[in-house]
Amino acid sequence: MNPTSPLIERGRTGRIVYARVAPNEDLVRSIEALCAAHGLAHAFVRGGLGSLIDACLQRREGDPQHIAGPAVEIVSFGGEVRAQADGAPRAALSGVVADPQGQMHGGLFVAGRNPICMTLEVTLEEWLPQG
Amino acid sequence: MPPIPPSLPRSRRLQHPGPPVARRLQSCEGPQALQLRLQLSPGQSLHEAVVRPLAARGVRSAALSLLGGWFSALQYCVGPATPEGPAVAAYAPPVAAGAACLIAGEATLGLDLAGAPMVHCHAVLRDGQGALCGGHLMTRDCVIGDAPITARVTVFEHFDLRLSADAETAVSLFLPEYLPEVAQP
Repeated sequence: MNPTSPLIERGRTGRIVYARVAPNEDLVRSIEALCAAHGLAHAFVRGGLGSLIDACLQRREGDPQHIAGPAVEIVSFGGEVRAQADGAPRAALSGVVADPQGQMHGGLFVAGRNPICMTLEVTLEEWLPQG
Repeated sequence: MPPIPPSLPRSRRLQHPGPPVARRLQSCEGPQALQLRLQLSPGQSLHEAVVRPLAARGVRSAALSLLGGWFSALQYCVGPATPEGPAVAAYAPPVAAGAACLIAGEATLGLDLAGAPMVHCHAVLRDGQGALCGGHLMTRDCVIGDAPITARVTVFEHFDLRLSADAETAVSLFLPEYLPEVAQP
């Protein structure tokens, strides 16, 4: 076993943050803003549920899917937030959504294209890397 | 992520019935959270299978991740637009999914307007016919099947989730609120 593998980051969990995100805010950008507001450099999404006006999910490279609402229900949701070199948090989120007709869709949430419809509840757990 | 094709519709905004709440992110934090592994009991409703054991342990507010399993009965809703108002979207009449397979679910436990425990849950499922489906679960009408369903519970010890009437959207939703004895960061 290579104890210094660049593929593995040792760490522990830190603070827990719960937020309600208001309508018309963007899913990805609001979670980045939440991390900035609480001073979380890195975090994992520990759970979330809510609804979107419309959804935009990346299915393949360069092939985002627009899912028309309202409302598009977020039924499964996860991801992580990592601080970039300049310190700005960057969220990478994926999940499964149900459209107003009950059809299911899944993929990566595209930043700036997933506005909240009624509410988003999200729980973040801080990740503290330990060298 | 690659650039967005220009053909894709731009993000739109919806006008809600009330004035926009000033704080767009309403959040609370606590130190490292207590984590619990909860077995949801066969034959109980999803609501009671979450509420009873956690209330007995003194847990009032939490986030839960539901792992896979089976329900003997399940009802869920999706949320189409409601042009007639008052809210811009509302849950449609529940769909009976029959004996459903839970693929994954997310839930929050908090307090309703009367201060009683309330569970809000969304999940992705296969219904009794095997079709992929999902949405907002009617937690009192979903019955855990013959085997327990495991939930990972992240306990909120420093704040509560309280159902609150939201003037902007004209619906009631969970908002976090620090406990009176907790020093806010």
